[in-house]
Amino acid sequence: MNKKWVGTNVPRKEGIEKVTGKSKYIDDLTFPDMIYGITVRSDVPRGTIRKIHFADNINWDEFTIVTIEDIPGENVVTLIESDQPFLADKEIRHQQEPILLLAHPDKSLLEEARRSIRIEVDELPAIFNIEESLNKKQIIYSDDNIIKEYLITKGNTDDVWDSAYKIVSEEYHTGAQEQLYIENNGMIAIANDEEVTVWGSMQCPYYIHKALMPLFDLPAEKIRIIQTATGGGFGGKEEYPSIIAGHAALLARKAQKPVKLMYDRAEDMVATTKRHPSHTRQKIAVDENGKLLAIDIDFVLDGGAYTTLSAVVLSRGAIHAAGPYACENIRIRARAVATNTPPQGAFRGFGAPQSIFAFERHLDLVAKQLNMCPVEFRKQNFLQQGSLNATGQKIEEEVRLDKVLDLALEKSQYFAKKKQFAVHNSQKNVKTYKGVGLASFYHGAGFTGSGEVYLASIVGARLTADGKVKVLAASTEIGQGTNTIFSQIAADALGIDYDMVEIETPDTSKVPNSGPTVASRTCMIVGKLVESAVCGIRDTLLKSNLLTSEYTSQQFITASKKYLEDFGELKIFVKYKPPAGIHWDEKNYRGSAYSAYAWAVYVAEVSVDKYTYEMQVDDFVAVQEVGEVVHPILAQGQIEGGVAQGIGYALYEDVVWRNGQMANNQMTNYIIPTSLDAPDIRVFFSEPFQPGGVRKGIGELPMDGTAPAVISAVENATGKHVCHVPLRPEDLMMLYRKET
Amino acid sequence: MNSFEYAMPKRTADVFRALESSDSIIKAGGIDVLDLIKEGIAHPQRLVNINSIDELKYIEGNQTTGVKIGPGTTLAELASSEVLSGSYRALAQAAGSTATPQIRNSATLGGSLCQRPRCWYFRNKDYHCTRKGGFTCFAVNGENENHAIFENDFGCVMVHPSTTAVALIALGAKLTIASAKSSREILVEDFFVTPRENMHRENILEQGEIITAIHLPPAAKNMVSYYYKQKAKQSFDWPIAEVAVSMQLDGKKCQNPRVALGAAAPVPMRSKEAESALNNQEVTIDIAASVGKEAMKKATPLSQNKYKVHIFQAVIKRTVCWASDIDPFA
Ligand SMILES: Cc1cc2nc3c(=O)[nH]c(=O)nc-3n(C[C@H](O)[C@H](O)[C@H](O)COP(=O)(O)OP(=O)(O)OC[C@H]3O[C@@H](n4cnc5c(N)ncnc54)[C@H](O)[C@@H]3O)c2cc1C
Repeated sequence: MNKKWVGTNVPRKEGIEKVTGKSKYIDDLTFPDMIYGITVRSDVPRGTIRKIHFADNINWDEFTIVTIEDIPGENVVTLIESDQPFLADKEIRHQQEPILLLAHPDKSLLEEARRSIRIEVDELPAIFNIEESLNKKQIIYSDDNIIKEYLITKGNTDDVWDSAYKIVSEEYHTGAQEQLYIENNGMIAIANDEEVTVWGSMQCPYYIHKALMPLFDLPAEKIRIIQTATGGGFGGKEEYPSIIAGHAALLARKAQKPVKLMYDRAEDMVATTKRHPSHTRQKIAVDENGKLLAIDIDFVLDGGAYTTLSAVVLSRGAIHAAGPYACENIRIRARAVATNTPPQGAFRGFGAPQSIFAFERHLDLVAKQLNMCPVEFRKQNFLQQGSLNATGQKIEEEVRLDKVLDLALEKSQYFAKKKQFAVHNSQKNVKTYKGVGLASFYHGAGFTGSGEVYLASIVGARLTADGKVKVLAASTEIGQGTNTIFSQIAADALGIDYDMVEIETPDTSKVPNSGPTVASRTCMIVGKLVESAVCGIRDTLLKSNLLTSEYTSQQFITASKKYLEDFGELKIFVKYKPPAGIHWDEKNYRGSAYSAYAWAVYVAEVSVDKYTYEMQVDDFVAVQEVGEVVHPILAQGQIEGGVAQGIGYALYEDVVWRNGQMANNQMTNYIIPTSLDAPDIRVFFSEPFQPGGVRKGIGELPMDGTAPAVISAVENATGKHVCHVPLRPEDLMMLYRKET
Repeated sequence: MNSFEYAMPKRTADVFRALESSDSIIKAGGIDVLDLIKEGIAHPQRLVNINSIDELKYIEGNQTTGVKIGPGTTLAELASSEVLSGSYRALAQAAGSTATPQIRNSATLGGSLCQRPRCWYFRNKDYHCTRKGGFTCFAVNGENENHAIFENDFGCVMVHPSTTAVALIALGAKLTIASAKSSREILVEDFFVTPRENMHRENILEQGEIITAIHLPPAAKNMVSYYYKQKAKQSFDWPIAEVAVSMQLDGKKCQNPRVALGAAAPVPMRSKEAESALNNQEVTIDIAASVGKEAMKKATPLSQNKYKVHIFQAVIKRTVCWASDIDPFA
């Protein structure tokens, strides 16, 4: 195949509309007669609802009020486990549990009405963190608070400890993180007893579709979900939108009017999902040359009050926990536990940033105790072609992580900097300590294990009336460039102009289920399906002799139009087929967890103010192998954005928990780095390891390695071993205080 | 948000009339007012926009005569003002380090002085705190890392948010406050009230009164000034600690210093301890460090903000050094 579009920086498909302000986000839309909804939530973390009181200062007749009585079908958000209700029935499990819904034509009356409802509750003691949950201070979920548990074993770690040259153990903690997409969550619904239509900001139209069928007890064709322009998601719009869509639709059905349900920033931050906080215990045995002999990891995530996606987040975290390193003996125990906080959910990286942080930090510690260079130590343990990773998957491709490393070292001047900073740090009259740090890691793209097989994604393509090609997929454009890369891939597959490819709006009445827009799978998995679907179109045209094997864009249009004239319509659908040689044993957690991994080495350079402990990332080098880069600017943007988000995770973003909910749910108090706070982020893509245009996902990758690289640099600057993120200046001060 | 009437007077005299009813409030740049309305803290029946009044926007005078500033002057205008580049530079620095460029283009000096606290409990509609008429200061036993380290034993531990006030206090500035009936002058340092004096407001303005002018006194001989703030992120942020210093410098000998601290107490405050440690001293790095230490001697940090005491010491030291043209890291 000749590639004319893939690999070039074509203008974004929806770029002009976005920069000229024409794109319509959900809050830009109004419908005739539309009214506004609001959610009445619990204000205790755990208890049993006794009674609901409506104060008499409000004329309740004017309001649409939805209670559990108004739910036509099942009161449960269908996802992995069906344990979360749309509206709490009796039991309250967290402070943001939705209990009632209100709607009114005058938005300004909603807030007071919400406050005029008092939920009388018999309060129960609640638990708020991993320790309390593991200690079973209260049992709030099944009989041991464990939402999900996995055990990954390779070789036998127990045989190693006694004879090992050195054993190093330590514990690591990571905090929650808010996705903070630029557009808040929101939905508009129109509904009656027969059908439901919802528009809104989302990543996964078919998740909502699936959740609304049982809620309304309606068949698939009676539920229609339409994505509007979406201002970012980062995983935060993976599963929570199902709840908002359900709520808006329940109100609309009762009111018999369109209902808009928009969250403001405070509600969005306090009520919706975040990155799971984690605790990890690491125990590593090495020989005197620094060879990894055994790795024992105990990885725990705080899942919050309901299952949501915790089981799969945990799974990805566990599989990535031992990084891209070869070791004969590995044991990874992974648990997600329940607490009385709003459920945690998907967030770029999906469990991997937590476990990779712990492992990369621990490798630095082991290297230090071995008196070895952390770079050499890592390098000699890298996975190679033919090695088996933690789940026993054989690395088939010709991995050259050492080359990625070399490029990162060269671009960052790692060793020169290290020397230079050692001199700098020994001087008295300087304001800062300086340091460099590094992390090496890999990220599996696509759903874990048999996930893609179960998903069985479908993509379609059809001819438009003017002879162009339209891609039919439920994969959403959420700012990351889906529409653009699909068009590039389709245009090259067909050998036609980029502008001749159109993308259908993700609307469940028009597009098949190409799976959720998550797990860095869109380019790699769905992109491949797009390619096959449009090839199906071409083959049909060839077969009907309207086209010869060599054709121009114009000839393609002519042929398409002729086909439509003769046969009416041309639509092709293709379904995912797993690549050969991919086997996954779900029961024992062994086998090929992912069909492809992206590989990376990141280097951070920081300065730390000697007196105020303020930390600043001064330079950042991100080198990765991601296979074929479809759109260099978009790819670079993904990496830069992920690195910035990772710097936030490392140094700024502190979710303050109070009584089981986020206390700093305002952007004045929850600080994220702006572009001005971010360093120069220098992004390099290494030569693909394999020929033949293999593409690997890149969306989540940069989130994995940034925080450990940054903290490693802080450690190099200060000499303090840091075991947690976020690391705020006051935390660093405490580390200094502890020593003196 | 409730619905309200919107008034756009063209002259100051019309403002007073528009403010007669007790549920009217002024909007200048609107940066804070809009937040207050959205956050359910302010429920005005009438919003009086003074942003359209040209006679409130000016910077007049010079270092010899003193400078008079209209309250409608934007922070961006202050930050780039020639007149404020010499002895008064602390004010330009303070204005220039407030918020973001967009905000500085709208936010006014009057609004900056009269903005309401940023305490996250106060700003959160789910907390009915003492300042909103409730009975609990949630920060005392709650998340108080950003709260006061002075004057924090009386019912509300917020810190006053005004950055410009810190510089104005260091420069010995005064305000003209006027209403339909009367007009008075007051030092900026006497403009603010502590929770002990009144829990429900941050300054002495009565209903119907507005700030009509801000006055910087003539600069004393060899007067220098400097403003500096420490923040959690560098692009823009609220201060963890902010300090403004002014003094007369004869060579390196300091006289009549004024040291003002922001983000330290429920009011922007002068530190008499810092001032006496600095007065009549030859400024050196060591002296500057001891000024920082002295200023923090009486600090009473809360459970989570001991860190601020440490930061203030460093920030005071640096500000004193920079005001005296000394490199604090040499
Ligand atoms: C992201 C962000 C960061 C910020 N960072 C900082 C910071 O670091 N430091 C800082 O100090 N501020 C900061 N601010 C706050 C901002 O500076 C103030 O909100 C702004 O200065 C208010 O000015 P305004 O003209 O918009 O006032 P408005 O919002 O119009 O008014 C504010 C208040 O002042 C009253 N008022 C206005 N003019 C007069 C007058 N002439 N007489 C009497 N009363 C009057 C109004 O009635 C109202 O109560 C920040 C704000 C944001 C959003």
